[in-house]
Amino acid sequence: MKGWRPSPPLLLLLPAVIVLAAVVVVPLLLSLYSSFTPFRLTRPETFWVFIGARNYVAILTSRAFWVAFARTVVLLTVALNLEMVIGLGLALLVEKASRGQRVLRTIMMFPMMFSPILVGFQFKFMFNDNIGLVNNALQGLGLTDRAIPWLIDGNLAFIAILTAEIWSSTSVFAILILAGLLAMPREPVEAARVDGCTPWQTFRYVTWPFIMPFAFIAMTIRSLDVARAYDIVKIMTDGGPAGRTELVWTLVARTAYGDARMGMANAMAYFSILLSILFTVYFYRKLAAARTQIAAEW
Amino acid sequence: MDQNSLHRVGNKALGIVHGIGLFLAMLVICLPGIWIVLSSLRPTVEIMAKPPVWIPRDLSLDAYIAMFSGVGQGGIPVLDYFRNSLIVSVTSTVIAIVIGMAGGYAFARYRFRAKSAMFLGLMLTRTVPGIALSLPLFFVFARLGIIDTHFGLILVYVALNVPFTVWLIDGFFRQVPKDLAEAAQIDGCTRWQAFWQVEFPLAGPGIASAGIFAFLTSWNEFALASQLTRSINSKTLPVGLLDYTAEFTIDWRGMCALAVVMIIPALTLTFIVQKHLVGGLTSGAVKG
Repeated sequence: MKGWRPSPPLLLLLPAVIVLAAVVVVPLLLSLYSSFTPFRLTRPETFWVFIGARNYVAILTSRAFWVAFARTVVLLTVALNLEMVIGLGLALLVEKASRGQRVLRTIMMFPMMFSPILVGFQFKFMFNDNIGLVNNALQGLGLTDRAIPWLIDGNLAFIAILTAEIWSSTSVFAILILAGLLAMPREPVEAARVDGCTPWQTFRYVTWPFIMPFAFIAMTIRSLDVARAYDIVKIMTDGGPAGRTELVWTLVARTAYGDARMGMANAMAYFSILLSILFTVYFYRKLAAARTQIAAEW
Repeated sequence: MDQNSLHRVGNKALGIVHGIGLFLAMLVICLPGIWIVLSSLRPTVEIMAKPPVWIPRDLSLDAYIAMFSGVGQGGIPVLDYFRNSLIVSVTSTVIAIVIGMAGGYAFARYRFRAKSAMFLGLMLTRTVPGIALSLPLFFVFARLGIIDTHFGLILVYVALNVPFTVWLIDGFFRQVPKDLAEAAQIDGCTRWQAFWQVEFPLAGPGIASAGIFAFLTSWNEFALASQLTRSINSKTLPVGLLDYTAEFTIDWRGMCALAVVMIIPALTLTFIVQKHLVGGLTSGAVKG
C-alpha cells in the first residue's frame, strides 16, 4: 500500500513489543508446548513425543503440588495483608513526626535496596538456631534456655520466611502510602474535625478513601513481583526440611533442574504464572476502581 | 487539674509513645543491615562464639582483604563477578530506558485503540515468575549457545525492565504539560525537536530515576541469573554469593563482606533518586 504509514504510537511501542515477544511470549509458548511432552533435559528426543495432558493430570492429582500451591497462596495472602497494615502504620507514624522526616523517609526505604537473595541470606543468618541473632537475643534475655530450631521446624520456618518477606517489602507500602498522605489536601480533614468527627472517624471516612489508590498502586507493584519470594525461600530453606516450606516456585526449580523433568516443570510453572496473573489483575482492577472513585469525589 | 492541663499531659504522653514507636520501627528496619556490616568485620571465632559475644572485641577488614585477594587465598573471583554485574546491569538499563522512553511517550501523548489493554498486557509480561521463565529460556539459550554470556543475560534483563520503565516514564511524561510542546511546535520546532528540547529535559530527572530502578532490578536479580550463568564469564554478584555456601557449612563472615560490597552501590543510587521515584509511581493516582 503506497502512502500508508503506521501510526506513531504503534511505531513507538514496536521495540518494547518485539523485545517482550522474543524474550517472554515466544519462550512461554515453547514451554506451553513442552508441558504436553515428557521432555527431559537429559533425553532431547523426548521433546517430540506428545502425551496430551498427562503432565497436568499428574500434577493435579499430586498431593505434594497442592500442598505447595496452598502454602504459596497462604504465604502471599498473609504477607500482603500484613505488609499493607504495617506499611500503613509506619506511614502514619512518619507523617506525624514533626522533625527529621527526610531522614526517616530515607531509612524507611532501606530494605528496598536489598536484593531478595541478600534478604534471604541475612535472615537465614539471624534465624540460625546456633549462632543467630534471634536465638542469642532470646537466650540472652532469659526467655528461653534452649535453641529454637527456627529454620528446621516447618511452622517456625514459615514464620521466619514470612518475617523476611515482610521486612523486605513493607517499605514499598509505607513509602507509597506516605506519598498519598503528603499529597492529601488539608481542608477535608479540618472540615471533618470541625464537624465533630472523632479521630477514628476522620481517618476511616476522610483519610482512608483518599490514600486507598496509593495502597493499591503499592499492591499492584508488589503483585507484579510476588515471585521474588523464591529467592528468599531458596536461600533460607530451599523448600526444606523435607518439603515443609516448599512453595510452587521451589518445586518448579527442583523438578526442572534437580530431576531434569522439564515437561512436568513447565506444566507446574503455568500454574505459578496463573497465580501471579490473578493477583495482578485483581489489584489492577481495584486500582482502577479506586481511581475513578477519587476522580468523582475530589 | 483543670481540663486544659489534663489535655496537655495527655498530648505529651501521646508524643512520647509516638516517639518510642517510631524509634522501635526504625530499629527493626536497620538492625539486619547493621548486623551484616558488623559481622563482616568480626573474626569467625567471635561470630560462632557460645555464649554470644555482644560487644565486638576486635574489628578488622580481614574478610575484605581475603575476598579481594583472589581464588587461591580463600577468596572468590569477586572482581570478575563485580565486572559482570556492572556490564550486564548498565547495558541492559540503557537499552531498557531507550525502549521505555519510546513506549512511555506513546502512552502519555497519543490516544490509540486498545490502549489500556495494551498497558495491562505489557505489565502482565512482568508478572511471569523468573523461575518459570527460566525453563524455556534455558532451553532456547542452550540451543543458541548464549548460555553463560553477557549477551544472553542482557537480553533477558532488558525484557524484564521494559514494562516497568514504560510505566514510570509514562507517568513522568504526563507531568509535563502538553501545551509546552505544542507551543514549541507553533514556534517552528518539529515534533522531534520539541521532544528533545522541551519535553525530554523536563522529564529528565524522572527518566534518570526510572533508569536507576531498572539498574537495581538487574543488579539484584537472582532466579534467572542462577540458571543462565555458569562460570566467571557471566556470573553476577547475587549468584556469586552462593560461592560461600558449601554443602553443610557457610562462611558467614565472607558472605557478609560480599553482601556489603553488593549493597553499597545500590544504597548510593537509591538515595539519589528516592524523591523522583515515588513521584513517578503515584503521578497517575491523583491526576488520573
